[in-house]
Amino acid sequence: MNRPRLAIVGLTACSGCQLSLVNCEAELPLLLEQVQFELFPMACSPVQMAEQYDVALVEGCCTTAHEVELLRELRNRSRLLVALGTCALWGGVATLRSDTPRQQLLSQVYGPHPPLDDGLPRPLSAYVTVDTALPGCPPEKKELLALLSDLVRGNLPPAGVSPVCTDCRMRENLCLLQERNQLCLGPLTLGGCDARCPSLGVPCEGCRGPAPEVNLTEALAVYQQKGFDQQTVTARLQRFCPEWRHD
Amino acid sequence: MTKLRTINQLARVEGHGRIRLEQQAGRVVGARLELYESMRLFEALVLGRRYDEIAEIVCRICSICSTVHKVAALQAVEHALELQVSTQTDLLRQLAVQGGQIESHALHLFCLALPDYLGCNGFPELAQRAPAELQRGLEIKALGNRIQELVGGRAIHPFNLLLGGLGSVPAADSLKQLIDQLQELLPAALATIELAAGLNETLPALHPLPCCAASGGPSLFGEQLTTSDGQQLAACEAYAWLDERLVGYSHAKLSSFSEHGPYLVGPLARLNLDVPLEPSAQAALQRYDSRLLGAPLTASHLARAIELLQAIERAMVLCRQLLQNGLLPERAAAVQPRSGSGTALIEAPRGLLLHQYSFNDAGYCTAAQVVTPTAINQGAMALMLTDLLQCLPDADPDSFKLQAERLIRCFDPCISCAVH
Repeated sequence: MNRPRLAIVGLTACSGCQLSLVNCEAELPLLLEQVQFELFPMACSPVQMAEQYDVALVEGCCTTAHEVELLRELRNRSRLLVALGTCALWGGVATLRSDTPRQQLLSQVYGPHPPLDDGLPRPLSAYVTVDTALPGCPPEKKELLALLSDLVRGNLPPAGVSPVCTDCRMRENLCLLQERNQLCLGPLTLGGCDARCPSLGVPCEGCRGPAPEVNLTEALAVYQQKGFDQQTVTARLQRFCPEWRHD
Repeated sequence: MTKLRTINQLARVEGHGRIRLEQQAGRVVGARLELYESMRLFEALVLGRRYDEIAEIVCRICSICSTVHKVAALQAVEHALELQVSTQTDLLRQLAVQGGQIESHALHLFCLALPDYLGCNGFPELAQRAPAELQRGLEIKALGNRIQELVGGRAIHPFNLLLGGLGSVPAADSLKQLIDQLQELLPAALATIELAAGLNETLPALHPLPCCAASGGPSLFGEQLTTSDGQQLAACEAYAWLDERLVGYSHAKLSSFSEHGPYLVGPLARLNLDVPLEPSAQAALQRYDSRLLGAPLTASHLARAIELLQAIERAMVLCRQLLQNGLLPERAAAVQPRSGSGTALIEAPRGLLLHQYSFNDAGYCTAAQVVTPTAINQGAMALMLTDLLQCLPDADPDSFKLQAERLIRCFDPCISCAVH
């Protein structure tokens, strides 16, 4: 694709995925030669939507009617749509307490008359077909750059398959679960982050969402053996991905 | 020529907001800033979560400010649990926060605000028209990120900052290298001040605002908040005093300051409230004091540039202190859950930030309040828009809108924070 025309938009988000792109300070000049930032409200004015984009990169989950409409418009106008980050792909932290009626959550924050412009936070796939996704909260810069490289060449990146444990093994890390008895979600979480957190002695919190085909039942048995109670494990599993339940 | 559909959304700010104009016979008679960012309800989402999860969740309120949210949350939870941290941990947190200050101010000055003054749409056109300036800005920004990554493990959502300590303490060599890198950027920081001082401002001079800031000294952590009209409150009184109210047109609660104010928070407020500065930053402030002290909002960019220099100098001081003390490995202390409440006040890049949490005997969160600088500044933003309207009575809607947007950018709004 010769200088693909990009739309980069955040929905219900912290802007971390967009910021990760702007955090590629050394690469930005090169990126400017290879892609066109057409719609990028966080960094460029004015906010005007064109008839067509080559790629729409959408960060955040989708909550309000306005966001659903915007998402569908971007889908219709873009050849490819990328779910950028864990919120877009899985729902993310905004989907915590999604078991509780939304009205109750609104009242807890705003009192008896909360604003009306609201909805239920859902991943992008609840509304549109997503062509490819970049996991992470936030995504790794190198993955973001690799994605853009692929797109410029007319490719989509391959899906990740191995969990964070693989990354830990590659770095010859101490296993925090087995040897330090810490609640590490590495066995269940999609790798590709170079086990950033366990490498500094911090257990994986699962911010990249589930790895494909993980053995959840087996992992839960291990956590139970290590003495973690079910409530703690469930709470940790659902921090980024509400679907990641076990009953 | 492709048909473009204009969307009424503020560009070059973080998060979703719009300026809504009220018109009569082609003239602008009213202007309002609406923060329509999606409500994520963080203060409800942490209810029922255990004390050791709070900070990891709430740092996701924002990415630019995630370090300062993480530190504020950790401090508030530690306060509730009566958990002390080592001097080393406190200094490292200060260093991470200074890193965030550098990154955020550089991002705003160079990528978000500067385009207005050079007739550019954003960093893409800046790369064409002012490549040297953009390059300088990106280098400074990168160093701010480097600091946050070194101390926090990651620039966005710094997982290495933990309750009671850190996952891993940075190596002495890394801090020595950081001092060199910071030293090398001092000329760039000074040049940025000159750049900010020389901007051709087209906004009219608006009324100066009374100011409010946390008074904790150069650490930016505060036990108290102070105002330019002489009020002083302890951190535990701050939430009640800020007195947040819901307004119909914004998803962010507005601070009503218990019928005072509105007050301005942020870099201009801090400089006006004598937050102590390092020598070069102090010299810069003195050089430009007539343009900063008691100055209108348009002085914000210059204030931000001076704070950028301050953050670089302060980071060097912190690194030297840490090296002098000697770096020791730290394990986060074992915590006994207990019932209690805790508050933390920090000066975030955009101004005063408050986190407050209560826990039950088993350590589960029963109450949470987060008040962010952009939410606090809504009153000031509304007042300044009214002021602008009075200064530009005959402006046509399109040019008024452009000026209004430039005015709002002086506040460097972070709307995801404001609404959370």
